[in-house]
Amino acid sequence: MHPPHRLEIRGLTKRFGKVEAVTDLTFDVEPGRVTGFLGPNGSGKTTTLRMLLGLVAPDGGTARIGGRRYRDLPEPARTVGAALEASNFHPARTGRDHLRVYADMLGVPTARVEEALALTGITDAAHRRAGGYSTGMRQRLNLATALLGDPPVLVLDEPTNGLDPEGIAWLRGLLRRLAGEGRMVLVASHVLSEAERLVDDVVVMRRGRLLATGPLAALTADGIGLEAAFLRLTGAAA
Amino acid sequence: MNRLVRAELRRLFSTPLWRWGPPVALLSGGALTAMAVLVGPEHFDPPMPGIGTEAGVRLVLSLIGLTVLAPALFGALAVTSEYRHRTITYTFLFAPRRHRVLAAKLAAYALAGTGYGLIVAGSAAAALYGAASVRGVAIGASPETVAGILASLAAAMAAYTVIGVGVGALLRDQTATLAVLGAYLYMVEHLLALIPGVGAVYPFLPGGATAALTQASLMGEAAVEVSGSAAHLLPPLVGAAVLLAYALLAAAAAVLLPMRRDVT
Repeated sequence: MHPPHRLEIRGLTKRFGKVEAVTDLTFDVEPGRVTGFLGPNGSGKTTTLRMLLGLVAPDGGTARIGGRRYRDLPEPARTVGAALEASNFHPARTGRDHLRVYADMLGVPTARVEEALALTGITDAAHRRAGGYSTGMRQRLNLATALLGDPPVLVLDEPTNGLDPEGIAWLRGLLRRLAGEGRMVLVASHVLSEAERLVDDVVVMRRGRLLATGPLAALTADGIGLEAAFLRLTGAAA
Repeated sequence: MNRLVRAELRRLFSTPLWRWGPPVALLSGGALTAMAVLVGPEHFDPPMPGIGTEAGVRLVLSLIGLTVLAPALFGALAVTSEYRHRTITYTFLFAPRRHRVLAAKLAAYALAGTGYGLIVAGSAAAALYGAASVRGVAIGASPETVAGILASLAAAMAAYTVIGVGVGALLRDQTATLAVLGAYLYMVEHLLALIPGVGAVYPFLPGGATAALTQASLMGEAAVEVSGSAAHLLPPLVGAAVLLAYALLAAAAAVLLPMRRDVT
């Protein structure tokens, strides 16, 4: 694994036509912690992640990982593992072949494919076509793809969607372990009750703007849950 | 770079679609040629030179040029399939310098298109000589001439595969790309060839350049039927250069277009 990386977002802005998707967003994410990137659907989380990963060009501001833009990283997919949505698979390709394509792109041996399959618990389904996978299995295959390069930074968009309670508990354990190894784990989610049990720090967005950032414990210091804290914040912002 | 080409080849051969390639190539080369030889161009309506003449052999082999939609569609899937199934997100994450991905796709599909072209050419050669011997007719062209024509047709199949990759990268939408390629190759280009005056550009269009490789064109014969004249085809080497130019143009479009587009 590469050394730990820090994420710096500075003044990030993106418009789609008349819609201000993200406006002047600034925050940092530290390694060794699980950071929840929270906010309702449509609050600009996914657009922010896509700008961070060079998929969407920002209108203004910068997103840097270890001081560099994603596309300028010497080995981007070995530095950042990303899983952005649960249906990024060709339905006629097996889970194993999907991973092998991206292992080829990375230049990692096929043994790493088997490791990623085992790590995400889908070895038994790897010979099947991805079109027949349940949403939960797709999430696991997504995660396996993100982990192929053994990256120090993980960026996951709504990774608990479609996971059953057992799967969510498993994911919680895995992300906790990965953060414990010094990796930076950024998890976007709109399900606050799940996020509360998963994250150390939070970045809260609403309508494309930053609402709050800091340790979860600080946000919920007066004994209220994350959901109540979020509603209080959004109520204050409304 | 080799990593990306290897990944593209694995991507291509890890879904069942490629299995359609060899049968389609055998139909486009072998079956079409065998049928034309067995019927005999002299029995076409209007009658054309038989395969006992070089003109007849060129005409029979020129029919293969009408099947270029297949490799073009196959090439188009290189990019459109990635957008359709949203694998393009991963692909650009694993290789954020997008021009490298597209260059790798072009290389992989040019290789695959060459393989397709070789099956077309090989099966056409077997069909030409096999069907002629069944009919007991001597081929009116030297083996060198036949080999030259078939080699250029094989190269044309690779060129159309590359053109398909470029058009797919331009349009991204799978259905739109299939419709545009089909409409252009089987309607627009043919209409252009038939319109008096406008027909003069036909030799410089991809279809005209492909016909130049065999120095025979059913469209040219049809244009004579309709308007009494047809534009002269380019010499074979110039036709090959024009086709290569289209392939390079499509390749340039494929490499340059995805650079700044948002993947949402």
